Amino acid sequence: MASEPATAPIEYRTREGFLDEVFAGAGGAAAPHAAQLVAALGQMGPEHLAAAGRRRDAIFMQQGITFELTGEDGPKDRPFPLDLVPRIIPADEWIPIKRGLAQRIRALNAFVDDVYHAREIVRAGVVPWRLVVSRSHFARVVHGIRPPGGVYTHVAGCDLVRDADGTWRVLEDNVRTPSGISYVLENRVAMTRLVPELFAQYRVRPVDHYPQLLLAALRAVAPSADAEATVVVWTPGPFNSAYFEHAFLARQMGVELVEASDLVVRDDVLYMRTTDGLERVHAVYRRIDDDYVDPLEFRVDSVLGVPGLVRAYRAGTVAVANAFGTGVADDKAIYHYVPDMIRFYLNEEPILANVKTYLLTDPDQLEHVLGRLDELVVKPTGESGGKGVFIGPATPPDDLAGLADVIRAYPDRWIAQELVNLSTVPTAGNDGRLAPRHVDLRPFAVFGEDIKIVPGGLTRVALIEDSMIVNSSRGGGSKDTWVLEDGQDTDRAEPEGMLTAPPTMPDLRYAGPWVGQQQQQQQ
Amino acid sequence: MLARIAHELFWLGRNLARAEHTARMLDGVFQASLQGRPDDPAGVTLDWSSMLAIMGAPPGEGPVRRDEVLRALTLEPDNPTSVVACIGRAREGARTVRDVISAEMWEAVNTTNMRMTESHPPDLSARPSSLYSYVKERCALFWGLTSRTMLRDEASAFLAAGGRIESADMVLRMLRVALPPGIPEPSSTAERGQALALLQAVGGFQAYRRAVPAPPNALPVAHFLVFERTYPDSVAASVDAVHNALFRADGNPRNSEPVLRLQRLSADLEFRGRAEADGGDLHATCEAVQEELVRVDRDIADRYFAGAVGTMVAV
Repeated sequence: MASEPATAPIEYRTREGFLDEVFAGAGGAAAPHAAQLVAALGQMGPEHLAAAGRRRDAIFMQQGITFELTGEDGPKDRPFPLDLVPRIIPADEWIPIKRGLAQRIRALNAFVDDVYHAREIVRAGVVPWRLVVSRSHFARVVHGIRPPGGVYTHVAGCDLVRDADGTWRVLEDNVRTPSGISYVLENRVAMTRLVPELFAQYRVRPVDHYPQLLLAALRAVAPSADAEATVVVWTPGPFNSAYFEHAFLARQMGVELVEASDLVVRDDVLYMRTTDGLERVHAVYRRIDDDYVDPLEFRVDSVLGVPGLVRAYRAGTVAVANAFGTGVADDKAIYHYVPDMIRFYLNEEPILANVKTYLLTDPDQLEHVLGRLDELVVKPTGESGGKGVFIGPATPPDDLAGLADVIRAYPDRWIAQELVNLSTVPTAGNDGRLAPRHVDLRPFAVFGEDIKIVPGGLTRVALIEDSMIVNSSRGGGSKDTWVLEDGQDTDRAEPEGMLTAPPTMPDLRYAGPWVGQQQQQQQ
Repeated sequence: MLARIAHELFWLGRNLARAEHTARMLDGVFQASLQGRPDDPAGVTLDWSSMLAIMGAPPGEGPVRRDEVLRALTLEPDNPTSVVACIGRAREGARTVRDVISAEMWEAVNTTNMRMTESHPPDLSARPSSLYSYVKERCALFWGLTSRTMLRDEASAFLAAGGRIESADMVLRMLRVALPPGIPEPSSTAERGQALALLQAVGGFQAYRRAVPAPPNALPVAHFLVFERTYPDSVAASVDAVHNALFRADGNPRNSEPVLRLQRLSADLEFRGRAEADGGDLHATCEAVQEELVRVDRDIADRYFAGAVGTMVAV
């Protein structure tokens, strides 16, 4: 089995100047951990892969795993684009990613706490206060509030990318309401049903315990004496583009999915309206932005909010995940300082590197960036989901000139980054043939009593040739991400029968012969 | 009604319930076997050798191979425990009682049997899930048609009694094999270890999630599968259903041994469920309930089927 041909039996051309994670060897040979996947794909052939793709679309439509794509003829439900070729991360590569993420999230959490309390990092001169307060997600109303356990960033999803030399780098932090975990779980279920043969030679670490981790974390921070604290998932409603995920998480955790109209605050305590009257809520996993949560404290025009929620939160009667005001930590201008935060709060060297970032408020850096706009990526600081991003080489010169004027006028609202040559992974087209497509990775971390990270995460893939934009709203798809167990166990036979002998049980029964009984009756 | 017909209906129900449970368990084990171990310690053992033990096969020599178990327990017509053999017997039974059950029910079973015995069986080792979901869907269709189209008479009562007694037995078998020996000891890994596999093997994950706040560890899951009456596939719910069906069918239920026995078992489960909320010997409970169900089976045969007791077939 290990002596499968290392060269691809499949037609495949890697993209020059980029790392291909599967055909990474010299002359396009498969990397050791991927050789068996390549062999299995070769055995399947393009026709089978294409047929499995059609079954996938049918199943996703049936199960309602779709997203809305606004095309020329209005919004339309499309099956969520899952590419059937998995992305493999060997165990030894995953360990530093996992440690690096835990370290980073711990530092981001410490930063949120610091910003709303002592501001030590500001006083030490590491992060300028002017920059912190000017962030759009800085929330003055939560100053001085410390949630249970001092945890703010209960759910975090940092976007990682791989450079041409194979280095993993953090591209963005998401510590408000990162989405995508439902696709991680659904992708895995779909893969085991559609292409189980690809799993044959691998021991892939499962991901389906995520809802348990999340529920345990929410219960751990809930201000309730008994272990059965009431937890809810708060959704803006069925029209939200991530409603599928909200419903998925509520169902998997076995908790209520609530909207604002279900919630009410009385005497600084949060309740939900049930058929049995008001029921106390101890913890809220909210999937709605700070701006809309409470019209008394944030945006007064919000109809999605619950009046008095921040008051209840301040009184400590309810835990909210993620905490209000965490957006200050995943701002793109703050991103630049995260390695310094790790050194400052944890006294450690960062395990995962940043992408080289230029702060445009610094006149020298601004001049440098303006001279290289056609090579760099320019991003607005307060946005997420790839909105308003300019990729230098792909932007027409006229637009770049306009961009330069905007940047000069509002240098604090933009940052510039070096372009990362995202790695590629073989991806199946509609005809089942493989071609390199660029990918990123969003692992999901849950911070309750400690930080737990689900092996792998959501690999997003740009389905358009040579494109590096992976957002699903802009033609991106996803891949099942396999983190392998330590040591490959390629023999599928179970090692040594059962450890203990099975209990003696009454045998299975079958219908007795009726004829015999008839004779018995005739005696 | 005729004892012979009641007997056929009872076994029609048993065979279909067995086919469905076997399919669900095989599917659960197959899905779990594709992936590695979870981060948390596993509290239960549900693998291919467990499948063989549940279905009563003698422990063989040497390692257990996935593809062999899959084939033997799914499409092997000569193995009486295989899904296809259960469906085949159900079809023969349904043919005998065609006049009693509705035409739609008969058609549902017959079509299922035809599909399962087609000359080009699906590629099991590669993609068994579609076959198992077919079996699950067809069984659901049969029971749905039963509640929609069949007269609620004695006949339907014996059909239901057979289906539910088999469900209880299959769940007990799975628990007895899969639960680790150390389960009553508090804070053992067995208790903390997760037991998702058990819930997935009966399709009860979401029901558990809604009913029980505790994480799906071995002890609460086993407790749920045995005692939780609001969950339709729990042992307690199945025992109640068998009782209700026989109570309905029996001319003089207050004087009926199987009915009385089921009443006592049902109350016993309620008491044990309360007493064992924080532990208790689940293994002993499962064993006791299983043995009591064997006695119920014999009582049913004596009272209604003119003594036609189920037999055992060597696997």
